[in-house]
Amino acid sequence: MVEAIAVSKSFGPTVALADVSFSVGVGEIVGFLGPNGAGKTTTMRILTGFLPASGGEARIAGFDVFEHPMEVKRRVGYLPESPPLYPELTVGEYLHFVGELRGLSGRACTLRIGAVMEQTGLKGWEGRVLGSLSKGYRQRVGLAQALIHDPPVLILDEPTSGLDPTQMVGIRALIRDLATTHTVILSTHVLSEVEALCPRAVVIGRGRVLAQGTLAELKAKAKRGTWTLIEVQGIGAAALAEAEGVDQVEPIPQSLESDGWASYRVTSRGDVREALIRRVQEAKGRVRAVEARQPALEEAFVDIVGEEGVTQGRAATAGPVA
Amino acid sequence: MIRSTWTIWKKEMRCYLVSPLAYVFLAAFLFLSGLFFYLGITLTGEASLRVLLANLAVTQLFVLPMLTMRHFAEERRQGTLELLFTAPVPLAAIVIGKWLSSVTLCVLMFVGTAVFPAILAYYGDPDWGVMATNYLGLLAVACGFCATGLFASSLTDDQVAAGLLGIVLLLPFWLVHQIEALVSDEWAESIRKFGVLVHLDSFQRGVLDSADVLYFVAFTFVFLFLTFRSLESRRWR
Repeated sequence: MVEAIAVSKSFGPTVALADVSFSVGVGEIVGFLGPNGAGKTTTMRILTGFLPASGGEARIAGFDVFEHPMEVKRRVGYLPESPPLYPELTVGEYLHFVGELRGLSGRACTLRIGAVMEQTGLKGWEGRVLGSLSKGYRQRVGLAQALIHDPPVLILDEPTSGLDPTQMVGIRALIRDLATTHTVILSTHVLSEVEALCPRAVVIGRGRVLAQGTLAELKAKAKRGTWTLIEVQGIGAAALAEAEGVDQVEPIPQSLESDGWASYRVTSRGDVREALIRRVQEAKGRVRAVEARQPALEEAFVDIVGEEGVTQGRAATAGPVA
Repeated sequence: MIRSTWTIWKKEMRCYLVSPLAYVFLAAFLFLSGLFFYLGITLTGEASLRVLLANLAVTQLFVLPMLTMRHFAEERRQGTLELLFTAPVPLAAIVIGKWLSSVTLCVLMFVGTAVFPAILAYYGDPDWGVMATNYLGLLAVACGFCATGLFASSLTDDQVAAGLLGIVLLLPFWLVHQIEALVSDEWAESIRKFGVLVHLDSFQRGVLDSADVLYFVAFTFVFLFLTFRSLESRRWR
């Protein structure tokens, strides 16, 4: 449904995007993940036809964004980073304007406005002036605006940034609901959002795609891999490390409790839970918890982006010498 | 194209009419009109709006860039330009819709001055033909200056800068008829042809000269075209 092939973008001498390729299937919801300034917004602006790419191809529903911008614009609903609202208009006037801009008119327009207001929880807010709305409601109007022409593709740029936790939960529920009938691309730098909404993610940093895949695949890229949490009494890190297959045992800070219980983070090849329990029994210690842990997405993210950051840094320092 | 232009026009008119800006300008414009009308009548003793309308043309030089300054500058600042540019609407429809809304507001201002011809008709016997061409001249100036203001607004995201830039762009067209002081006569003659006053003169005398009408049409077209190109090129950079 959405396809980017080697898309690049430069602003003068600054390279904002280099060789960005990814694709999103029909009905998929994909998270676009990256630190601030990574190129998320630029990519979205290219997909929506707001900015032309300097190179490469972008297609939506089979239409090239550059060659058939009108066809693409008809099929895309776009929520920019800050919702594009006119503070002097009311919610109803604004949605009416966007509806007409999107080619709706008369009864069809009124019906769609009713439908999207219902969908985004704006019912009864028609007469409110946009300038007086809270951030959460502004975001809802922004979403309503993107939905008004019932587009098959939704592109949402940081839809929950700046919202309080309750509003965040509300918007996420709405996006999850929309994802059942739309193809959704959403950008964010909040990892928990991707975990909550997207089965698949594209990680972008410094204008390049650093990794993409399902969340499990991305987590597997974390160098730290799977690890085991063990909570014991009467046995130390050194003794635990003697268990078969264990690579390293690190105490988890702030876990020491007054009665002598301590938690350790055990990294290993393969599953060492049974071996660990045996080791504790041999050492006449006590164990009250053993658990295999997946790395958090945060760790994977830091590993993927961090590694890139280090290489980039080196390249930059080497630059002037060469 | 026409439908999108209409949509944009309606939105711009609504934004004008709910903001205090339009009313402030309307009030200022009508106050100045009243002043010029009084002075014109007492100084010349004629039952005509010649003095009033000539002065209003100058007033427009300062008023219109202020009316048009928000168009693109404000859209860009509040991020709504992204909404317009990602909607399936031709760029020309956006430019023309915005320009028409400003021209419409000018017409509303002119309608407000209709009280003066009414007073003249009550107390004297004005020449209606001359008055009509005077108003046409005013409209021609409004069309041209709104286009210039729109162009200025497309260049920056700062409203005030856009307004001042509009005035700066227009001033040469106003002052150019005094060019004799600077260059030789034959040069002055050709340069003066670019000035607004030279072409407004026939309107004020009650003559509709096709060359003068064409001047204002071209003036408007050139600045609308520049606006279009400036918006288009901004997206490329």
